[in-house]
Parts: sequence; structure tokens; C-alpha cells
Amino acid sequence: MQTKVKTERFIWIDVMVTLLTLWLMDFFYYGIRAVVLGGVCIAVSVTAELISLRLMGRKFTADDLTCVSDALIITLMLPAVFDMKAAAIACVFAVAAAKNIFGGRLNMIFSPAAAAYVFLYTSWKNQLLMFPEPHVRTGVFEKAANLVSSASHSFNITGRMSATDFELLLGNVSGPAGAVSILLLAVAAVVLLLRRSISAGAFIGSISATVLLALIVPASVTRADSVKYTLCCNMVLFASVYITADRRIAPKRWYFAFFYGFFVAMFSYILVITTAKENAIVLVSLLFTPVALGFRNLEKRIELTEREEQAEAERLAAEADADGEEALPDEE
Amino acid sequence: MFLVTELVTLLATNLILTQALGTSTLFIAAGNRKNLLWTAITITVFTSVGSGAAYTVNRLLPNGLADLTLLFYTLIVGAIYVLFLAVLYYTDFASFATARKYVHISAFNCAVMGTLFTITERAEAYPELNTFVRFVLSGAEAGTGFILAAFILTAAYRKLNSAKVPASFRGFPAMLVYLGLISMAVYALR
Amino acid sequence: MKNKKTAVFDGLLGDNTVLSALMVISPVIMCGSTLMNAVALMYAFSAITFFSVLIGSFVPKRLPYAAKIIIRAVIASIVYIPVRTVAREFFPDVITRVGIYFPLLAVNSLIVVQSETKFARMKRGTMIASLVFYILGFDAVMAVTAFVRELLAYGTINGRLVDADTLISGLGLPFGGFIFLGLLCGLYRKVRSVIRRENSETGGDGNVSGN
Repeated sequence: MQTKVKTERFIWIDVMVTLLTLWLMDFFYYGIRAVVLGGVCIAVSVTAELISLRLMGRKFTADDLTCVSDALIITLMLPAVFDMKAAAIACVFAVAAAKNIFGGRLNMIFSPAAAAYVFLYTSWKNQLLMFPEPHVRTGVFEKAANLVSSASHSFNITGRMSATDFELLLGNVSGPAGAVSILLLAVAAVVLLLRRSISAGAFIGSISATVLLALIVPASVTRADSVKYTLCCNMVLFASVYITADRRIAPKRWYFAFFYGFFVAMFSYILVITTAKENAIVLVSLLFTPVALGFRNLEKRIELTEREEQAEAERLAAEADADGEEALPDEE
Repeated sequence: MFLVTELVTLLATNLILTQALGTSTLFIAAGNRKNLLWTAITITVFTSVGSGAAYTVNRLLPNGLADLTLLFYTLIVGAIYVLFLAVLYYTDFASFATARKYVHISAFNCAVMGTLFTITERAEAYPELNTFVRFVLSGAEAGTGFILAAFILTAAYRKLNSAKVPASFRGFPAMLVYLGLISMAVYALR
Repeated sequence: MKNKKTAVFDGLLGDNTVLSALMVISPVIMCGSTLMNAVALMYAFSAITFFSVLIGSFVPKRLPYAAKIIIRAVIASIVYIPVRTVAREFFPDVITRVGIYFPLLAVNSLIVVQSETKFARMKRGTMIASLVFYILGFDAVMAVTAFVRELLAYGTINGRLVDADTLISGLGLPFGGFIFLGLLCGLYRKVRSVIRRENSETGGDGNVSGN
């Protein structure tokens, strides 16, 4: 039990370290406004967690700091100049309605960050999908001006990318603050995979499906461009790491997790090329929650059956030993 | 790709997720997997057959008597209800006592009546849908949507009724919020 | 032991139609987003349910269950006609907005199921009183839901603008109804359990238990 708690804490620390580096990149491109937005989200999430745990009659422990990582994930999916009140409401929604109503971190059903994003998508869609240009600083209390559509939106509509590969890698394109720094995200993915802090099956399934479909049904002029830009756009890499491969949600067995990640990515890719829906992978991740739950139920049944079979085998072995011991004195 | 778009359409027109029809029936039936499956199948039969009969009523009822639509739909559902029970009684008497409860729950509820009205409304808006075959298919589609919603709920049923859920929210309140979040995701896909 | 007299009020608080029995939730979720819609539905539900259950109470009890259900549903469908005619006079726009949820009130569980399982077993006087409170239970939830959702989603109260800073448009949509009703249901259960615990501690008559 203690090992499990320790593991959970180390996972959280790993995820936080990677998120903090992305947040730093966010600050580099968008200035203090991005930091304040993140700070507001974290403060509101922690407060909401404290209050809801108190109402549930539970104490706030170090493990409940997962609300901080969820808050950072939400921040990194938003435009840096997003309305702070709306972001705060989304964080309260994530903690209270998407997590603690169902029992909190002990009984996770939905990814809180995904739920918050979809909540913002349905209530503040126009604000959510307009972004400042990189290196445009907006004051903390200033109203943002000259907002543009994301690079993903342009790619979804035209099948072409105006940014260079170098700009894509460094995140020097308009889009969700933390989801466009591809190089950092790739490094984060490798680190988290090696440290087993995310579900490898779900991540690999998600990326495999995206690559496979990008090759079979290209979204761009050439197949190479299709694979490259599909992976870099629409928060595919970000969501594959922090939402689809979230160990709290993804199935435990690697083959179930693989299929879960595969179906999420496949469904979202098809939505992107048929309806040009931006960031579809986050929407589909929330929708496929019952699929993840179904796989988990199946895993539980398999474990139960294996335990019963093992107990039965042990019982038979014990009986066989007992029979053998009874036979020996007769032989003598 | 066709399957994905069809699935999105099925979700987007789902009775429960987008119109909240039949939610109470779903919750009542959700307690037991077998109950849920048979209730969902029974509702599908009611919606399919009822839709076909509703088409006939719509054709025969004069425009000035539109207020009588509900009465005639009620009579249709009542007739199907009695017919269903009679068929069960005479074909499989042994399981009649257990099977009839599914028919009782499935007959007069918002899912069935709502389907008849929704299909009629759609047929008025899009005349190409105003054929007998389209009515029956739409009814079957509505029933299939109910089955899909039933599966979505079953997947999370154990977790929604877990002891870890706060007592005030355990069961129905958590189910409502759960369906709400799924409905939110479906809405975002439209 | 539960007081028989206070059991009449159950439909409003102790066993609320919507929050406890989870009946008639479709109109609350789909149409409970503005007060105007809510008032029209409250009128329709109250009128249809009251007269349908009252007339349905004269249906012979010896008839088979299925026959009674069908007769009650037919009675409700007939009562619906004059109710709709009146609604057309007083709420013409709302009828169009509410759409199919207006006629669906006629097949609500209170009329079709609860009449048989609950009201049929009561004396007529008690039945009428209990029915009134069950109807009031629905009306109260509808009013509260519509008020809060309209205020937070559209920044209006009964169509009049108020000074609302941030609007959550999702709350006016069906999924917002689901989530809001779920939260309200949980809150209701919490309050009810606290009241019941206090009542049982005081012995139900104000005395400290054990004295």
C-alpha cells in the first residue's frame, strides 16, 4: 500500500516537472499573463479541492495535489490571454463536477482536464479558439487584441502549414500555450514513458493510430507532411501524453490501453479530416471514457478469474500433497 | 469513416443524451444488466412498431384535429402494449411473469412517446423523411440509441454506486452528472 | 415512526417528485432553462396531473394492471386537450419553444405509474392532498432550476436583463440541465439526511432522545 502511494506521488512529481517546463515555455512566448493565468487556475483548483474534500469529510493530503497538475494541464490547453474568470470556473468544474462528485482521486471516472476543456469548448468556444501571436505580450488586466486562429485551424481547413519545421518544433506558432512546443512535448513523452509515469500502451496506441491514418488517408499534399503536421497539430501530442495516457483513466493492461488509445486517436483523426474540428482528440477522450471504463471492468473480471483459478490450483495441490502423505505410511 | 460519421449521428440524435427522454426508465433499469438489456430491447420494439403506426395516424388525422395526436399515439402505444403482453402470454407462458415487467416499464414513458413526436416533427421539417419506411427506421434508430446509452451507463454503473462516492451523490445524482458530461462531449462534437 | 399526517407533505420535501423519485426529469432538463418556459410547464403539469389522477381514481380497482395503465394514459391525453387550448391563449410562444415536452407531460410517471402504486391505495381526501404536494414538489424544482439556469446562462430573470458579469452558456443547454439537476439532487439528499438525523436525535417531538 505504501509502495503504491509512493509510486503515485513519484508519478505526480514526474508529470509536474514536465508541465512546469511547458509552463516556462508559455511564459517565454506570452509573458507574465500566462503565468498569472496558471497561478489563478492552480489557486482555484486547490481551494476547490480543499472545500470539496472538507464537505466529503476527508483530509487534504499530499496525494490530493494532483489537482495542481490538472490545473496546469488546463492552463496549457488555453490561449494565454483567456478570460481568467472563465478559466477559474472551468477549474472548479473540473475538481467538483468531474472528479470529486464521483469520489475524487480514489474513484476516477473522467479526466478532469478534458472535462474542463470540453466545458469551456461548449460555453466559451469563440474565446477558446482565438490565440495571440507568439511573443505578443498582453498585460495581466489588459484586453487582448489582434487575436488569430491557431495553426491547427489553418491546417485543418487548408491541409497546409505556413510555419517552418523549426518553428513548429519550438512552438513558435499560434495555438494553445503548452500544446505547440513539439520538441519539449516529445522530450516530456520520452521521459514520462521511461519512468512509467504515463500509460505506454495508450500513448503508443494513440500515436500509432494517428501515424497509420495519416499515411492511409493523408490530410496534406504528401504523406510525409500529413504525418508530420497531424502529429504536431490539434493537440495530438499533448493530449496523447497528458489525457489519453493518464494512468488514472487508461486501462492498466498494455494491450487494452493500446486499443483504447488507438480508437481515441482514430476517431479524432477522422473527425478532423471530415469536419475540420479543432483539438478533436480532447473531445473524443472525454467521449470514450465509457470505453476505458469498459476495459477496466474487463480487467477486473480477468483478475478475479485468475485469482479464483489460482486459489483452485493451490487447493488441488494441497489436496494432492495430503493424499500423497497418507499413501506413504501404507507403502511402508 | 462512414461508420464513425454514423456513430456521431447516432450519438447526436440520441434520445437520452441530447433530449433527456427515457432517463428515468434508464436509471430504473440500470440496476441489473439483464434488466437493462431487455428493457432496451423492449423499448426498441415499441419505438419501431409505434413509429410505423404513428405514420398511419399522421396520414389519416385531419390537420384541424392536431390536438388529438397525443390521444391517438396513446391508443397506439396501448394497443402495442396489450399485443405484446398477449404474444408473450401465449408463446412463452413460463417466463411471462418475469418478462411482463419489462413491457410494463417500457410502454408509457417519455422514450417511446417522445420518439413518436420527434419523428413526426422531423418529418414535418424534412418531407423526404415522411415515408412509412423512414418512420420505422427512425424508430429503430431511436431504440438503438437507447441501447447505446444503456451501455454507456452500464460501463460506469459500478463506479457510480461505489462506497467511495459521497453518500449524497451515490446512485442517481452521480448518474445524472455522468450522463451530463457524456452529453456535453456529444454536444461538442456536433 | 413516521407521522401519517406529515406523510401527506412528502411529495414536496421528503419524497420530492423530481429530486427523490427522479420522475418527470426530461422537461426539467430540457425546458427548465428559462422562467417563462418553466411557468408554462408548471401550469401544464399541475393541471394535467391533478385532473388526470383525480378522474383516474374512479377507475375500478379490479381491472387488470395493464388495462388501468392504458385507461389512465387515455384520460391524461383527453385532459391534455383543454389544457393545451388554454395554454395557447396565455403562453403562445412558449408552446412552440417547449415543443414535444408539452404533450409528454401527459404520460409522466406520476399519472401512469404512481397513481396505481401510491395514490390508488389512499382515501380520496388524503390522495388529493398528497397529490397537490407532489405537484408542488415538481413546481418548486422547476422554478428553482429555471431561475438559476436562466440567471447564470443568459444573465436574465424572466427575460429581463440583470447585471451578470460572466455567463455560462452551457448551463442553458441539455447537458447543463443534467449536471445542474444532478448537483441539486445531491444537495437535496444531503439536506434531507441532515434533517432526518436531527429529527431522530431529538426523538421527533423536540425531546432529547432517552429522556
